[in-house]
Amino acid sequence: MEPVEIDEYYHLKSPIHSWDPRAKIVSIMVLIFSIVLIYDLILAILGLMVAITLLFTSRIPLKFVIWHLRWVFLFILPFLVIMPLSITRGGISLTYEGFEYALLVSIKALTSVILIFPMIGTMRFDSTTKALERLKIPNKIVQMITFTYRYIFVFMKEFSDISRSIDSRGFKRRTDMYTIRTLGKVVGMLFVKSVERSERVYIAMQSRGYTGTLKSFDEFEMVKMDWAKAFMIVGAALGLHLITITGVI
Amino acid sequence: MKKAIEIDDLSYTYPDGTKALDGVFLNISEGKSVALIGPNGAGKSTLMLHLNGVLRGEDSAVKILGDEISNRNLRKIREKVGIVFQDPDDQLFMPTVFDDVAFGPINLGLESDEVKKRVEMALKKVGLSGYEDRSPHRLSFGEKKRASFATVLSMDPEILVLDEPTSNLDPRNRSRLIRTISDLRYEGKTIITATHDLNAVPSIADMVYILNRTIIAGGTTREIFENVDLLRGMNLDVPEVVRLFEVLKCFGYDYENLPLSMEEAISHLTGTIESAGGHIHLHIHEHTHRELDETREKHNHHFKDGN
Repeated sequence: MEPVEIDEYYHLKSPIHSWDPRAKIVSIMVLIFSIVLIYDLILAILGLMVAITLLFTSRIPLKFVIWHLRWVFLFILPFLVIMPLSITRGGISLTYEGFEYALLVSIKALTSVILIFPMIGTMRFDSTTKALERLKIPNKIVQMITFTYRYIFVFMKEFSDISRSIDSRGFKRRTDMYTIRTLGKVVGMLFVKSVERSERVYIAMQSRGYTGTLKSFDEFEMVKMDWAKAFMIVGAALGLHLITITGVI
Repeated sequence: MKKAIEIDDLSYTYPDGTKALDGVFLNISEGKSVALIGPNGAGKSTLMLHLNGVLRGEDSAVKILGDEISNRNLRKIREKVGIVFQDPDDQLFMPTVFDDVAFGPINLGLESDEVKKRVEMALKKVGLSGYEDRSPHRLSFGEKKRASFATVLSMDPEILVLDEPTSNLDPRNRSRLIRTISDLRYEGKTIITATHDLNAVPSIADMVYILNRTIIAGGTTREIFENVDLLRGMNLDVPEVVRLFEVLKCFGYDYENLPLSMEEAISHLTGTIESAGGHIHLHIHEHTHRELDETREKHNHHFKDGN
């Protein structure tokens, strides 16, 4: 099992890739929040356009994005099905308002997730964590993100090792108590193993002088172009709301 | 010669009641390379964790370069004692190889130029120059093992502690790592290596200690490997080269100093051939077969008694 990594396309060249990581994270986060706070369908669609434009600018292959979005679709689908339904005196009926609201929620969710790709898919994951560190995100949180990312692959490897090991001894997954009990034990072992590993990693860290904070180098430097891009994105984020205030729509 | 490590009656019991170490005495002089061998579960790793204060028995039991380990000097001790752990996934926890190798030097409070220099030097020593930006989880096991070595070399510790450095490596990565260790040995580092790789021991160590909760025996590499009975009792064995020369002895090849490593074997054979006019003389007598059987018997104990 080869894990698919979010920073798989960090090596591409695009205006988003060359953008300073700190400015990129802050600007796109602002854009995401602004889109989440939209309550108008047309504006939400406009926001989606902005997100898609950013995605295309980043040159991250669409196939890769859609592959990752499949879980999001699964999550959104129930909204589209259930929300248009409303209970009236005559029973259950479909309402236009319900449908519009469902569409709004879905588009906003989709847009937010799409924006994650230009935000963290255009740089190596270590740049992301370093940028978070420079943005004065609490060191403990940065450490949690760093270690989660580092050890998720080890964890996956250990799970697939155990899984292969039980398969090769004739275990078949069925819908019975035995299967559930066995898988429960496997997951339990995995937790025990990860606790033990975390102890060993902590010992290795202590041995190299770790005293509670993670320090690393970076060579981030904001140039004019970085500011320009930031103004553009933050401008777009604010613009979406200015339209409502000025009453254009 | 100054003592790098002094261990005076160290015992350690794990919280679950398992006695891991029981009255260990060990002195290692500065600049010596020592191999620590012993059966599985003999307490080798536990002993190593005492050398930089991760585990603490009685504080006075372990002295590093003359200093007792205490909370006050823990930082200093960890600067001086670098431990390379067995599983590289435990040792490599940062997002890039550079960050990982730089982790120690940054914690030492070094300037960024010095840190970069140290990283470059350490990666060069293990043959991973150019790997700075790679993610540890994308490296092969052999590369991970070498990278984890570099994370300790960059701190330039006076004492290097290696836990099973050659385990699970392919022959090429193994011999590469052995070469790195033997280079460090000639640079005058104090090295203590826990290993089951007995064939590697002659190339990396001056002295060998057998540990099984306590120090069972210690001596020069030669003294220990000449004592087959002792090794046998500890689930251990001698290097293949030693076995081969014991076989050659049955065929009449005479030697005083048993060669322990390939290099020693080559120089030994060369010396013998040159002094005997260009060839060596081997023969089969009546007693040869009996001696061969005895030699075989001596080394096949593992299979005979079901261990």
